[in-house]
Amino acid sequence: MAEEYPPLRIEYLEPVDGLRLVRQSPPRSAASFAATYVGPAGWAYDPRGAEGMSRLVSQLVTSAAGPYGRVELARRLDRAGGVLSHQCAPESAEVTVWGPADAWQELLRLLALVVQRPRFDPEDVRRAHRQLLERQLRETTQPASRADREMLHRIFARGHPYRESGLGSPRSARRLTRTALRRFHAEHFTGEGGLLVLTAPADASTVRAAVRRHFEPFPSTRAPSAPDVPSAPGAPGRQTIDLPGRSQVEVRLGGRSVARSDPRYPAAFLANELLGGRPLLSRLFQRVRERGGLAYHASSDLEAMRWGGYWVAQAGTGADRWRKVLPMLERELAAVRHVAPAAAELELVRESAIGEIVLSLESTGEAHELAVDAAYHDLPEDHWVRWPERLREVRPNDVRDAARAAFSERGAVSVVAGPLAPE
Amino acid sequence: MAPPRVPRPRTRSFTLGNGLRVLLAPDPHSPTASVWVWYRVGSVNEHPGITGASHWVEHMLFEGSPRYPKGAMDRAVVRVGGQLNAFTDTDFTAYFSTVPREHLDVPLDIEADRMTRALITDPEVGRERTVIFSEREGNENWPEFRVEEELYQLAFREHPYRWDALGRREDIERMSAAELREYYHRFYGTRNAILVVAGGFAPAEVARQVRRRFGRLPRGGEDVTVARVEPEPRGERRAELTGPGTTPYVQVGFRAPALDDPMTPTGIVLDTILGGETRLFTSGSGWGRSGEHPSSRLYRGLVDPGLAVRASCDWRPRRYPALFTVQAQAAAGVSLDRLEAALLGLLERLAADGPSVAEVKECRTKLRRAVALAYEGASRTGFRLGYFSVLRAPELEDEIYRALFRVRPKDVRACARALFRPERRVVVRYRPTGGESVG
Repeated sequence: MAEEYPPLRIEYLEPVDGLRLVRQSPPRSAASFAATYVGPAGWAYDPRGAEGMSRLVSQLVTSAAGPYGRVELARRLDRAGGVLSHQCAPESAEVTVWGPADAWQELLRLLALVVQRPRFDPEDVRRAHRQLLERQLRETTQPASRADREMLHRIFARGHPYRESGLGSPRSARRLTRTALRRFHAEHFTGEGGLLVLTAPADASTVRAAVRRHFEPFPSTRAPSAPDVPSAPGAPGRQTIDLPGRSQVEVRLGGRSVARSDPRYPAAFLANELLGGRPLLSRLFQRVRERGGLAYHASSDLEAMRWGGYWVAQAGTGADRWRKVLPMLERELAAVRHVAPAAAELELVRESAIGEIVLSLESTGEAHELAVDAAYHDLPEDHWVRWPERLREVRPNDVRDAARAAFSERGAVSVVAGPLAPE
Repeated sequence: MAPPRVPRPRTRSFTLGNGLRVLLAPDPHSPTASVWVWYRVGSVNEHPGITGASHWVEHMLFEGSPRYPKGAMDRAVVRVGGQLNAFTDTDFTAYFSTVPREHLDVPLDIEADRMTRALITDPEVGRERTVIFSEREGNENWPEFRVEEELYQLAFREHPYRWDALGRREDIERMSAAELREYYHRFYGTRNAILVVAGGFAPAEVARQVRRRFGRLPRGGEDVTVARVEPEPRGERRAELTGPGTTPYVQVGFRAPALDDPMTPTGIVLDTILGGETRLFTSGSGWGRSGEHPSSRLYRGLVDPGLAVRASCDWRPRRYPALFTVQAQAAAGVSLDRLEAALLGLLERLAADGPSVAEVKECRTKLRRAVALAYEGASRTGFRLGYFSVLRAPELEDEIYRALFRVRPKDVRACARALFRPERRVVVRYRPTGGESVG
């Protein structure tokens, strides 16, 4: 598979100033380039009382940098044909540049500039503040984001890095001053603890030389140490939130799960695919939508991260139907935990997941995501080449056993948010 | 400087005896193959009583055909690692599957089977009714959806652009399986369909397969031309909605020309100058836009000074005259009146003074950038070829694209003057309310 599809294999290069460097070949039919910097700058690192910091910093680094204000930076990107994007998660923040392969050196230069020399211009900071406040409001008033937020609050105890959504509150937003933002950036957009993944039409030595040329030496700042991960339980049980005036009720069931490094992960991955992760084939989709006709979406996610994880089974349904949907989700969860799947069902889901890897090689952007994922979790260079083999080693009983751990009943919570009809 | 060519792949096209138009875009290096069927049928072909029929038929085409009973087509595609889905618009409906290239025969067989022989049974229609409701309810959770639905209802009194592709609640409630079958057999057929195959395959072999699978289908599909014409508006129309939300939101729509109108390329430049990007030529990965555009007029005029947290415009030229919309979400503490006044003032200034030479130049740079990677990957290729074909032909893209580079600042000013007239304006405002209870 690696010979046929070179992008499946990544290559770890010698670090530059402590920055881990990873190269991937672009798909043969692709004409674009992508590079992502990942820093230990997720919202788990937000200073206490200054929640919202990491999200604001990752938004602002892509705004203006070095000699370029935000308008000029946008124009430079336009000329190079590139797009800058940012993403923030509990553990890390990512900045990605994507554009034509023949402009990859210029795009890498712009990425280096935003990662290392963001300006945090006062008017940009004020604008980002205003946007953050509106997002905070949206999070509490929109049924889907409200259900997600309350679910995490109940799964994880106070102080747990996965407990928050990173948006903070109006009060914490007041502490996100320009000085504080700059300090957070200096401490978290580091070489040490950082990662740079390039999907580029160039060999290892050319890539390394380009990184050296475009990135200034990172200061010898040590990577921030990972936050404590308290094991104290959250507040299991059920919560209902009536949001009158909305149309759809969002239902969530969730709990703690395994880390990506857990040896049971391949079996847990398949358990999730079977439960609700695989579009169209999954049990939740089949039971709730196809046979029940009760919801437009019904699915599950397994968020297996570095420090642990969580699972969620979810559906969006009508005010008159959520009381039927919730027990359906519970029954399917119980089944996946307690009964090994039939060999044929497992085979179908597994071969679907394996076949789909090739679809990620349609474009540079999609292939690049595979590389970032493997590199972030420090997986072997041939991880995606060997992934089908690892999945094929999983037996039906392994899926059941992994589901017990990965979809643990202990501390499980349920949250329903939306226009709740009276009982 | 001459505009660059749109990097469209070499395409082989032919029409079968039954009227089915076929486009093949082979890429020997592609590991995937993507099959798209575009029907020139959308919500514009519906009428009150059966609004939402095109979208409902879209759902039903996954629910069984003679060779693929319920669930079988999903399993057939997904088991080989493929993905399949569909979407419904006002002017068309598109069905697509992307699979590892060695499995191209799977989606071809499915599309041939369901093009004219989807089952659409009474029990399945009944069961799908709540799914459709649920999809609509999910959209209704967003004030932006409610506002836009209201905007089109106000703007159109005669023309079927009046309703959203999801259909009206009361029609979803009462529409029967027989009505859906009648609608399907009337419009879905070879004459109203375009088959696009893109990606890794040998064109001669696939052309043979297409002839074998689709050539025997009966010629069908009634004329989808819509004769109803919306009268010219004679004054501003407006409405105000209330409901849960964050901050005030306003959307303004202006009657805009159809795709074939000579003003279309200028309108696209206007859209780019105002919002920073235009839907037909976006640098994002699909149809959506790729983020914030700090150099755009709306951003500088509304977001920078702290009046709005978001502001955008949208114009996707359609087969019939539709709306050019401009919308903004207020920053906390900014009233609807202030936001609307600022938004309309900004449009008036653009209509009075036109854009600068630098703005038009910058727009050209954006447009050059946007097409450079537009055809990366079999799925995007299938989408793009099909989209322009269902509206007219793949060459339509070149035609519009070339014309964009002839647009001058004074043309944009004239276009803005013609479009942004108060009597052609529809305004819908959304005033958020609070209230919740936690148990």
